Amino acid sequence: MPQFMYLFRGGGYATPREISPSELQAHLAKWTAWSNGLLAAGRLAGAHPLTHPPTGKTVRGQEKTVTDGPYAESKDLVSGILIVEAGSLEEATELAKGCPILEFDGSVEVRPVGTSPGK
Amino acid sequence: MVDASAGELIEDLFRRESAHLIAALVRLLGPANLTLAEDVVHDALLSAMQEWRFGAPANPKAWILHVAKNRAIDVIRRDRRMDALRPQLEDQGFANALEQGFSTEADAENQLAMMFAICDDALSSETHVTLILRWLSGLSSAEIARAFLVDVPTIDRRLHRGRARLKALGRLHDVGSRDEVRTRQPSVERALYLLFNEGYHGSDAESPLQPALCADALRLAELMLQASAVERSTVHALAALFCLDAARLPARLDEAGVIVPLAEQDRSHWDRSLLQRGLLHLSASAGGEHLTRFHLEAGIAFEHSQAASVSATNWARIVDYYDALSALSPGPVVALNRALALAEQRGPEMGRVALLALEHEPKLAEYSFYWAARADIERRSSDLALAARFYRRAMALAKSRAERLSYERRLRGLEDD
Repeated sequence: MPQFMYLFRGGGYATPREISPSELQAHLAKWTAWSNGLLAAGRLAGAHPLTHPPTGKTVRGQEKTVTDGPYAESKDLVSGILIVEAGSLEEATELAKGCPILEFDGSVEVRPVGTSPGK
Repeated sequence: MVDASAGELIEDLFRRESAHLIAALVRLLGPANLTLAEDVVHDALLSAMQEWRFGAPANPKAWILHVAKNRAIDVIRRDRRMDALRPQLEDQGFANALEQGFSTEADAENQLAMMFAICDDALSSETHVTLILRWLSGLSSAEIARAFLVDVPTIDRRLHRGRARLKALGRLHDVGSRDEVRTRQPSVERALYLLFNEGYHGSDAESPLQPALCADALRLAELMLQASAVERSTVHALAALFCLDAARLPARLDEAGVIVPLAEQDRSHWDRSLLQRGLLHLSASAGGEHLTRFHLEAGIAFEHSQAASVSATNWARIVDYYDALSALSPGPVVALNRALALAEQRGPEMGRVALLALEHEPKLAEYSFYWAARADIERRSSDLALAARFYRRAMALAKSRAERLSYERRLRGLEDD
């Protein structure tokens, strides 16, 4: 079955301070329910959250210049990835609509994963 | 990777850890750095929310403590607001001081110190409850506003006053000092009593937060018992009252979310273990020198807890308790409850006379329970038209949907009587 990568952006980095611990935990429970749902449906091929607050390095160019951290605006920062199996891009996009990040001002980019020859 | 086997988190882990860590950090960094402490804790919980999306770690609590510790070290090293305190903390070693501060052993004392500092005489009781809910229960302004039925700016103003007052105090209280503890104990008790009542009779009866407020009031009352300098008998009385009343919560709302009156509650649904715990507190409360309103109210709750039904209740003793309560802390609500007990003990006519005598109390005129009580009495005396009028009045004044529907149901029931 074709695979699609979800790139999660924002959804928490940009959250206003006024969110309560209970609300954070309730939001987390929605993520667990959503990803467990994909798993139970045999759709989930892998998922990784990225650390918060965002840190890291960027290596760039033939000079192999190393710079600190991702520099994007918080709403543009990739906060995690997930790979689903779906029949089509449309179906993968439908599945992405259930993602809780959308309630928190975040986005999901849906990209078809290329197939390697021989696979 | 997704860990499908990862268990569910403890229901209020984030709320609890928020209280735990804020108290520890404020104790360590001083009340002037309360906002800094809140930021550290918020960041740690936000990290957990982000990073546990596809499964929680094996030890979620340890994970949060670890992240909060690193975040705090970072803030102590870099934040300008920490300049003055940094040398002192450096001597202790940040990491060590934080680890000790976050330990389970230090937790009770941290939260106690915070609670006694919050209940300052310069602040109102409403502000005490607001600050407790924010820092020791981990609620947001919006959640507190919903519980109190006031707007968010009102809550934010109280929080602002609280922060300023704590900052002026300069340090948290020494919960080992008898003087400091005894002076503030009545304010702390009053705040917890209000907190419990907000949970019990709250404006949003269906909110899952309401039982949590009752549970927190009980948790903090029991925490007070860990302060060696505290006058214990009153706290035991308060804890007994909380346990015995909270034990009835499972029977208090029906499946449709409507409040069930005491007379109609299925008493087999009362929480046995809470009743048991209440009895232990009640017997421990007997040793003090003072008889407080909490002792008397716990006595009343005890009589209800022991009775198999309304008719089997020892109403004579309950009326005696209300008489003593009226002498100790008179007020229209106590008088209303006394009238209800009197109606059970000596018949509806006596109850009606006592209720009528309260008709001109300004507070009761706006109090839904008063009109519901009048209606109940008229229903029992078969003046159904008057009962209907009073039920409608109670409905108009009801604070929650659950309460209003309860009166509406009784109003409809009149047609079948």
